[in-house]
Amino acid sequence: MLFLYTLLILTVVAAAIFAAPPKAKAWTALTITAAAGIALATRAAEVLAAGHPVRLWNTVSPLPGPDTGSMDSLSAFFVLLIVLGAIAATLYSRGYLAHALAHKSPAHVSLHYTSLVVMSLSMLGVVTSDGGFSFLFFWELMTVASFLLILFDAERREVRRAALSYLIMMHVGFVLLVVGFVRLHAATGSASFAALAPMFAEGPFLPLFLVFLAGFGMKAGLFPMHVWLPEAHPAAPSHVSALMSGVMIKTGVYGILRVAAALGDAASLRTAGLIVLAAGIATGLWGVILAASQNDVKRLLAYSSIENVGVILIGLGIALLGKAAGNHTMALCGIAGALLHTLNHSFFKTLLFMGAGNVLTQTRTTSLDALGGVAKQMPLTALLFLVGAAAICALPPLNGLVSELLIYMGMFRGIAAGSETLAAAAGLTALALIGGIVVLAFAKLYGTVFLGSPRTPEAVEATEADNVRIAAMALPLAGILFVGLFPATAAGLATRAAGFFVATPAVAADYLLSPTLEAAGRTAWLLVAVVALLAWLRRRTLRGRKVEQGPTWGCGFTAPNVRMQYTGESFSEGLQSIVPSLTRQDGEGDAVGKNEIFPSAHGFEIRRKDRIDNLFAAWWVELLRQMNRRAMRLRTGKINHYLLFALAFLGLVFLLSILNLL
Amino acid sequence: MMTALNTLFLLLVALAVPGVINRVRARLAGRRGIRFLQHLYDLRLRLRKGAVYSRTTTALFRTAPSVYLGAAIVAALMIPVGDLRPLLAFEGDVVCLAYVLALGRFALILAAMDTGSAFEGMGASREALYGALVEPALMLAAGTLALATGCTSFARMFDPAALPGTQFAVVLLLLTYVLVKIVITESGRVPVDDPRTHLELTMIHEVMCLDYCGVDLAMIQLAGWLKTALFSLLAADTLAATCCLHWWAAAPLAVALTGISVGVVESTQARNKLARNTTYILTVAALAALAFFTGYLLRLNIGLA
Repeated sequence: MLFLYTLLILTVVAAAIFAAPPKAKAWTALTITAAAGIALATRAAEVLAAGHPVRLWNTVSPLPGPDTGSMDSLSAFFVLLIVLGAIAATLYSRGYLAHALAHKSPAHVSLHYTSLVVMSLSMLGVVTSDGGFSFLFFWELMTVASFLLILFDAERREVRRAALSYLIMMHVGFVLLVVGFVRLHAATGSASFAALAPMFAEGPFLPLFLVFLAGFGMKAGLFPMHVWLPEAHPAAPSHVSALMSGVMIKTGVYGILRVAAALGDAASLRTAGLIVLAAGIATGLWGVILAASQNDVKRLLAYSSIENVGVILIGLGIALLGKAAGNHTMALCGIAGALLHTLNHSFFKTLLFMGAGNVLTQTRTTSLDALGGVAKQMPLTALLFLVGAAAICALPPLNGLVSELLIYMGMFRGIAAGSETLAAAAGLTALALIGGIVVLAFAKLYGTVFLGSPRTPEAVEATEADNVRIAAMALPLAGILFVGLFPATAAGLATRAAGFFVATPAVAADYLLSPTLEAAGRTAWLLVAVVALLAWLRRRTLRGRKVEQGPTWGCGFTAPNVRMQYTGESFSEGLQSIVPSLTRQDGEGDAVGKNEIFPSAHGFEIRRKDRIDNLFAAWWVELLRQMNRRAMRLRTGKINHYLLFALAFLGLVFLLSILNLL
Repeated sequence: MMTALNTLFLLLVALAVPGVINRVRARLAGRRGIRFLQHLYDLRLRLRKGAVYSRTTTALFRTAPSVYLGAAIVAALMIPVGDLRPLLAFEGDVVCLAYVLALGRFALILAAMDTGSAFEGMGASREALYGALVEPALMLAAGTLALATGCTSFARMFDPAALPGTQFAVVLLLLTYVLVKIVITESGRVPVDDPRTHLELTMIHEVMCLDYCGVDLAMIQLAGWLKTALFSLLAADTLAATCCLHWWAAAPLAVALTGISVGVVESTQARNKLARNTTYILTVAALAALAFFTGYLLRLNIGLA
């Protein structure tokens, strides 16, 4: 019945959007998303405040297993995250698609907005179903909707390619999830998440855990299943990238959290913790190093999403290890950090992808080496992007630091108390290195795109984006500032959601964490005050003195030009020289010959490819192709051969049946 | 009272270290050297000047020195001098210290990129890379202190009441060595960077500030002294924790440790080739890991006994 109701609702949504006049389609979509979202978000707030789960639906299903949906504190937390991200992205799409309305058919635009609403609603469905087949239904709905969203610019070949590879990878993940849920149903008679705990308690947990980790990891962008992310995000329109990267990949994290929470005894918790921690470290380091090597704004942001999923998993790994060792503070810090980082990442990544969208529409490019000096033409976008970049680098006084601080605290608590010291130290080293390289990656991104001199005429002629888009970007900005400046309040939300994982009551959890977080909040305010005071003193000192403008100091060279600026590629050259093996360098064009005294115009393009980006395309596609080639030999086109095959088949059936094999 | 004293000593160490470095370097070269407080006179001179800004730059370039200095001040307020209490002391200040300093670094890197100069971009890229590589070393050093003392805040780690036992002396000595190397790296001294080089192509920190002058340059220099002082004090506290953890030991030790080691290294050693710097910094991280592992083994042994 649930499926029927859902289909009915979706038909109504589609009808409303298709019927609306072109200019009002965005507002219709926004109204539907906001109405459904706010209705559910108020329930979520009640659940978080009260701490009791509520039942949302309970319908009769033709499929086996219960078909129920409910909202506990974890679901409520994710509902809030999804609603905020979905509203911001839908609002942003209004300005972003304004230019597309002219040359896309109304049906095309309607389909896009319908998919946008369906995707937002299906994500809400994913985090509120109790598991089993309704979960898989919403999961699949979400995948198909996002596939349609990526396809918006389907006339471009790389978009079709990226969308198709996304669809295939997501279905590999889907098959894994189906296998997991069917196995669960076969063993316990129920396919809901609640049945996981008894099943893990009885037999060996590892096979099923790994199947779920791989299935959900495919969506979350877990190494080495991350390869769809850097292809899909640049291909999708920017509000879709924002929604997918900020919110959708978090449903994968949600699944992993649900499965991890079902683990009970210390031995399996420890094994799972080590696996998740190792996966998090690999994902984080791979993501951040590849992010620092990218020369395209959206690809860089996509790799940085992978890195952030790594950080979230490091937090979860620490939480699992802490729970295994009976160190409750370590477990609480880890899980609260992981949850808060999930929320934080949805804020800053949404903001950053929207900023990238502004740059893309106003300059028609996202290539780092074609931009430069955009801050002068687009000051508001530049300022908002700067805040997002500083937040993702976990710099105070913004939100990234709060969640990373919690994860670090989990590790330090572990080291200080002597529980899982070596694993915690490995996480500590990796997180510190990730933190350092993120600064490099985003200094490169911001410095090359927004600062310096414009490298192309397009960058000179850019104008500021429209106000609707800036307003949409203000939503995640508010989240960033709130979490950064009032960390104790924000972490209270995460500790309430953490109730699904640790037995510590919310009040006790607040008591454990709030001294640190309040002190961190005070430090943030102190930092703001000191910097403001210094800036004011500096202004005062310079007042009345001679302040002049001049050219940039060229170190004695009198004719520097724009092409001599440091480029994105040269900025990360030092890092490349340390880790050359992670990327493959593809060059196109011809170099300047040795005997050209006065070089003519040459074009040369370098692309850095992920070393494993064709892991899922290369070997087995090649294998299929070879098998196909062999099978082609049978297709001779002669009727007598085909008759012979039929005869041979009959003979085979006869032979098998008399041998009692059939 | 103790906090005010702590802040005062911090400031004194920050102002004294450059003078001591100059004096040590001059004596080793057989010169009398400049006045001990010459760097403060230079600072006063800069603070009296006007400013020239590049036309390429935006408001970010003018704000960056305030952020850089502000970050250095807030970070320094977390460091205890011996047994005195710092103004900011809370669980996890270890992490906040690293990230507050990263904020300053981020601001200065962006300011350098803002000028659109190839040389400053070069310096910015190097600073970003070396800063990223130092981070694990710093965190592992802090982790080792947490391991040895069982505490997670600087103020508690260097509390005379919670001192690690004498069996950890070897770990603390190794850690002091690591921290002195971090001082050298973070303050841009030989063999990582040479503040007196005349060639922009080989500079790291200095080339990032090429377009700054007057008040802005003074702020950047002051922030540099504070950063040197806070890492020196960490090294000195760690060394003092092996025998007598008191402010009257830690503060002079910080000045002597950095002043003498930097002075001697700069008088006797050439700077690294740039390609060797990454190896140098990774070696520091490896040493920190060694210190951590030694501490871990020592603690296991204690647990068994």
